[in-house]
Amino acid sequence: MIGGLGQAGRLGNGSEAMVERRVPILAVAVFVVFGIFVARLFQLQIIESADLRQRSQRNSVRTEILEAPRGDIFDRSGRLLATTRPAFGVKVLPVDLSEREMTLSAVGELLDANPVELDERVGKPVGRQRFQAVYLEDDAPYDRLARVESHLYALPGVMTDIRPRRDYVGGERAAHLLGLIGEIDADELAKPDFAGYRRGEVIGKAGVETLMEPHLRGHAGGRNVVVDVAGRSIEVIDEVLPLPGGSVTLTIDLDLQEVAEEAFLPDVLGEPARMGAVVALDPRNGDVLAMVSKPSFDPNDFAGGVDDETWERLTGDRWRPIQNRAISGQYAPGSTYKAIVGAAALETGVIDETEKIYCPGSFTLGRRTYRCWKREGHGDVDMHDALKKSCDVYFYQVGLRLGIDRIAEFAAGFNLGRRTGIPLHNEQPGLNPTSAWKERRFAEVWMKGETVSASIGQSFNLVTPMQLAVAFGALATGRVVVPRILLHTTEMDGRLRAGPDPRFTGHIPVSPENLAIIRAGLEAVVQETGGTGGRARVPGVRVVGKTGTSQVVGLEHTDGLEDDEVAIQHRDHAWFASYAPAEDPEIVVVALVEHGGGGGSTAAPVAQKVLARYFEKRSLEESENPNSSPDIRQVEGSGDEAWEEAVDEEPSFELRARPPWLERLPEVSFAGD
Amino acid sequence: MLGIDRRLVQNFDWPLFGLILTIVGVGVVNLASATHDDRWISPELYRQLLAISLGGVGMLVVVAIDYRHFERLAIPIFLVSLALLVATLIFAPVTRGSRSWLFGGSLQPSEVAKLALILMLARFFHRNPARDMHALPSLLQLGMIIVLPVGLIVMQGDAGMALLTLFIACTFLVFVRIPWGAWLGIALTGVLGLVTLWMFALAPYQRSRILDVIDPGRDPLASGYQAIQSRIAVGSGGLLGSGYMEGTQTQLRFLPTQHTDFAFSVLGEEWGFVGSTFVLMLYVALMLWGLMVARSAKDGFGGLLAVGVVAVIFWPATLNIAMVLGLAPVIGVALPLLSYGGSAIVITLVSLGLLLNVSMRRYVF
Repeated sequence: MIGGLGQAGRLGNGSEAMVERRVPILAVAVFVVFGIFVARLFQLQIIESADLRQRSQRNSVRTEILEAPRGDIFDRSGRLLATTRPAFGVKVLPVDLSEREMTLSAVGELLDANPVELDERVGKPVGRQRFQAVYLEDDAPYDRLARVESHLYALPGVMTDIRPRRDYVGGERAAHLLGLIGEIDADELAKPDFAGYRRGEVIGKAGVETLMEPHLRGHAGGRNVVVDVAGRSIEVIDEVLPLPGGSVTLTIDLDLQEVAEEAFLPDVLGEPARMGAVVALDPRNGDVLAMVSKPSFDPNDFAGGVDDETWERLTGDRWRPIQNRAISGQYAPGSTYKAIVGAAALETGVIDETEKIYCPGSFTLGRRTYRCWKREGHGDVDMHDALKKSCDVYFYQVGLRLGIDRIAEFAAGFNLGRRTGIPLHNEQPGLNPTSAWKERRFAEVWMKGETVSASIGQSFNLVTPMQLAVAFGALATGRVVVPRILLHTTEMDGRLRAGPDPRFTGHIPVSPENLAIIRAGLEAVVQETGGTGGRARVPGVRVVGKTGTSQVVGLEHTDGLEDDEVAIQHRDHAWFASYAPAEDPEIVVVALVEHGGGGGSTAAPVAQKVLARYFEKRSLEESENPNSSPDIRQVEGSGDEAWEEAVDEEPSFELRARPPWLERLPEVSFAGD
Repeated sequence: MLGIDRRLVQNFDWPLFGLILTIVGVGVVNLASATHDDRWISPELYRQLLAISLGGVGMLVVVAIDYRHFERLAIPIFLVSLALLVATLIFAPVTRGSRSWLFGGSLQPSEVAKLALILMLARFFHRNPARDMHALPSLLQLGMIIVLPVGLIVMQGDAGMALLTLFIACTFLVFVRIPWGAWLGIALTGVLGLVTLWMFALAPYQRSRILDVIDPGRDPLASGYQAIQSRIAVGSGGLLGSGYMEGTQTQLRFLPTQHTDFAFSVLGEEWGFVGSTFVLMLYVALMLWGLMVARSAKDGFGGLLAVGVVAVIFWPATLNIAMVLGLAPVIGVALPLLSYGGSAIVITLVSLGLLLNVSMRRYVF
């Protein structure tokens, strides 16, 4: 169509000619440039396409973790101690907070929160942080969440979510045993034990939560979500629901635990709550029936990430509520030690059952005088009376005859100075001193006077309440048992697995005849008039026990003062170690009341409450079900065989539409669901 | 002067008009996807359709006026455009680091200046045959025509537009007949000018944008972000594209300014190699047609004017697509006819009106 141009007048040097001649250059330029573009398109869209498409997906698909609820923890009769409940969160995406003031004040009203505080919590995020959701409330009550939910359409930028949260149903109940949870830290992440854990994941930090971590953890689920550049979820592509962790049944008996904990509450209004520990143990198999440490803490405070204030309060407290005194608190055993010194004396023959020693109220060795707790003296006492009345002078002399190393040998036979092997962290070994130990430790010779103190458990000796419980269990049965806390577990697929079999580390080196003499003396402590532990009596039950008072500071701090004038931190620790019934021991109870004064007056009543509750329960169960003994373990045998027969062949789990911890709730409706 | 000759209607360049309509149509469809949200029609799309209508009217008006009148009108139009540029410098508020909009953002005087410049240059080269080019007065005159508008645009702080205007002006240099040595001199001056520009005139962000072309991974979250996201968008389109309104980069707004400067990446992602090559071919066809119009024009002015219109399409298209494909730094140059932008589409359509004008009057004198 451009053909047929009159060429004649246009040749020459005019501008027409110039256009005519030079335009093809421009056409070539167009071809070259756009040719390069097509080549580049080919490179990007054909050659590099797969790679770039992948990057595009990484841009827009985000994987969200769905935390698995931790497994439940039960007491030995299946009562819930720890579970997982839904925590309702209300959060905002700052970038979407188009009407900030109005929205925050509305949310404040709905949540009963101060809008100014909410505003501070949101702050002034800049850059990418604007796309990071900020929690206004991470654990709102259900009714408040419902209020927010129903107004969500009018609150731009506000979102809600539900996350599993650990719930210790009893609050402080058995806190030290259950332990606590917290976010995994960098050191833990580096350990092989925590291979496969993610940053920010919650793990057990103490107690059963740590011990059973792999079992309780469950399998986290996840989902792939399409997000826009602001990180807002547009669409869920696929989803794998989390699998809750397996549950754990402990040997603990919630009733005994409750009674023991409540024994530390002040009897009289205004009296300070007591501190100390209680251990109740079945000496026949090692089951820990109660384990108390006071003061305590509420592990729920840690469940949602501990706030600084609570953390300061707990760690800064001079009475150290976090410490588990039952296994980590080391105290001089005081007079409870006399049971072991007595057994050693009879067994080695340094004294016999009939020999009497005169107690004038004090004992002098060299230039130093050692007092009996009873200033006027006990007069002539034999082994039985010495135990019953807890005569110090008798044991000073017996101890001197034995010498520290023979005492230590027998104490070691009762497992003192060694960890009991309870599967909890931070168990302390106590201290069973010998002359060789002192030489090593202080490069000093063992002094006879120290043996005198040691024979009433007041020298370098240290025991934990758990150790003393194991030692008294050994007095009761003749065997040293390893305490255990795990009755059985339920796997994620529903199969039961028995806990560890009872384990004993050995027999005590005492003949049955001599043991009988000691046991009789200890029974007299409680049952006979004039015994120091009369307050531990339980009607109808033969209780065997020993009081103890362990001196905290030198006498110079307390001499001349009436009992209630001594500063609390200078008062003696009170011990009571016991087992029952005498004829066929089923339970050991050790009570320690820190700065409680006399063992007979403050610790024995604590142990008594536990014993009374135990036997009350037993007689109740016997009358209901006369053929079954209450102490038969619910799960017999060990390993899988016993249980694989009892359960279906088919694994009974499947991915459920709603995680079970959500099913305990009324149906929650969500805007946009 | 406004008389519509029957022959003019007969000679109306329907293929060229169809080509323009096609590209504008692609632009509208693409804009609908780039600004797609819950609304039936996005405000951007609505404004673009208004601008297209306005531009269409402008184009028909320009078609109706014999282009030879524009030779005489060139100087007044040029002066008005310079006045507008000066007014912008004085009155316009600073938006996004530059001062380039007048009348509350409805008019971009630098767009008008482009049109005025090609009119002025066509007039100049028509009146100054190549053999007179060595004369100093005419060279000075040429220099003034180019430097005045370009300089004013630089002063606005709109580097991309200044560069673009300079490139459009330089297109006319092919019509200058000077010895090879002189070309060499010009090239050397150009290189020296660029080095000076780099060292003294460019803001740090502009320098880093240039470095991003060489190595886009340099700073993926800041200056290189756009370049990387654009390449990802285009590349993920593959052979056939992800489908209309299905591009994740686009629909999830990973592309910044995807409806203006990065309109072509939206096209690349959703229509793939086939679709984007087709659009490139549309542009090539438009420009070659324009060059043919230039060759067949009745007179020198018409031919030069047609070349100028092609340059007004060619340079921004080239810079924009090179930027989208990661071959040139990220400079704010829109893709003519396809990108969102009111002033730009009106002026581009009016310019194409000039091309239609020259085409339909090739037999009439």
